[in-house]
Amino acid sequence: MTESGNNTTEFTRHRVLIIDDAEDVHRLLGARLKQERLELLSALDGRTALEMAREQDPSLVLLDLDMPGMDGFEVLRHLKASDETHEIPVIVLSGLQSPADKVTAFDLGAVDYITKPFDLMELRVRVRSALKMADLINMLAQRAHIDGLTGLYNRIAFDERWAQSTAENQRHAKPLSLAIFDLDHFKSINDTYGHPAGDEALRTFARLLQRECRQSDVPCRFGGEEFVLIMPETGPDAAAAVCNRIREALEAIEWPAHPERRVTVSCGVLGADNTATISPSDWVQATDEQLYAAKNGGRNRVMVSRADRADQSLRQTG
Amino acid sequence: MAFGWGVQMSNPESFGPPIRSEFAGDPDMLELVEEFVRELPGRAASLSASYDQGEIESVTRLTHQLSGACGGYGFGEIGEVARDLECRLKKMGSAAELLTVREQVDELVSMCSRVVV
Ligand SMILES: [Mg+2]
Repeated sequence: MTESGNNTTEFTRHRVLIIDDAEDVHRLLGARLKQERLELLSALDGRTALEMAREQDPSLVLLDLDMPGMDGFEVLRHLKASDETHEIPVIVLSGLQSPADKVTAFDLGAVDYITKPFDLMELRVRVRSALKMADLINMLAQRAHIDGLTGLYNRIAFDERWAQSTAENQRHAKPLSLAIFDLDHFKSINDTYGHPAGDEALRTFARLLQRECRQSDVPCRFGGEEFVLIMPETGPDAAAAVCNRIREALEAIEWPAHPERRVTVSCGVLGADNTATISPSDWVQATDEQLYAAKNGGRNRVMVSRADRADQSLRQTG
Repeated sequence: MAFGWGVQMSNPESFGPPIRSEFAGDPDMLELVEEFVRELPGRAASLSASYDQGEIESVTRLTHQLSGACGGYGFGEIGEVARDLECRLKKMGSAAELLTVREQVDELVSMCSRVVV
């Protein structure tokens, strides 16, 4: 997943889970919210509701407080206590409740309340506003993981994905490789052609990285002119081949404004065909050492070594 | 007994002006209101029967459902009666206290029997 934008929410139907013991209320809300292009799910009791919230991952919950058996407060408590459901916004549907009950509902994590009987316009605007807020929160959460300049995953996202990937490698002895790329003489590009040219070089390399890597690979911008590529299910030899393809593709690019200049990249790769013998952070560190070897070896090259053997022999490829 | 009273004869308390839904003119709601109106006399009958049996739980449940729904279908007046009754039912400690709400139950049942679209 490397898309930088997040326009999908505008086009998908929001799923709204309605929890109320009265079937009338479900029918009523179905009619009242018909024009809102929502997918409505119905639960008539708390237990079923909690199961549905976990399985269907709704964008919003409309929750009746007054239900026999497990009441709305208890449902709310459960929703907010579970990692799977605590981020789902909840609007409370209140009938007889006193202001104190509403306060309790807010304390428990509800975002809003609607009083029964529903006022049509009020119902619609409150549902719309809760969904809009949820979209914004999702977008911000996603943005926090995206590099603004290139649209690639940023370092925060890398840390998470790397932890997952190395855990997989440890658990199932699945092949895994990591590459770190660093644009050669990037400072001189900035100094000679200006920062917009430097940014263009970064964006171009990011696009190229995305284009040349495989579906399961995870390209990230590490910071500055450094990029990383996580390659799941890939041993060091195959990883080196992928990275050389990327290196060659960059070198082949002709820059319309500066035809005399070629931008190149150095790359360090550390991969394992089996369970790695080093920690995830040492793995990154050792990959960085390969990158330095590539720089010291004259740049525009890929240096590769293994993370699943004691004798981590140094090899240059390409 | 006179002829032509139909089912309403069985419930003399249902005499009174018909109660219309505020949403009768809303095309989005028409079908739903019709369905609600069709079901309401049956629900009123269940409420009445539960009350006569002294089944406080089912009286409370049925009243709760009416109080939540009636207003939404454009029968705000009935909803309010149901709501007041529900409040009183919730404060009751035993089924014996049901006797204290006889009038309200009758009124609610009567109103439910008079609905039209
Ligand atoms: Mg309820």
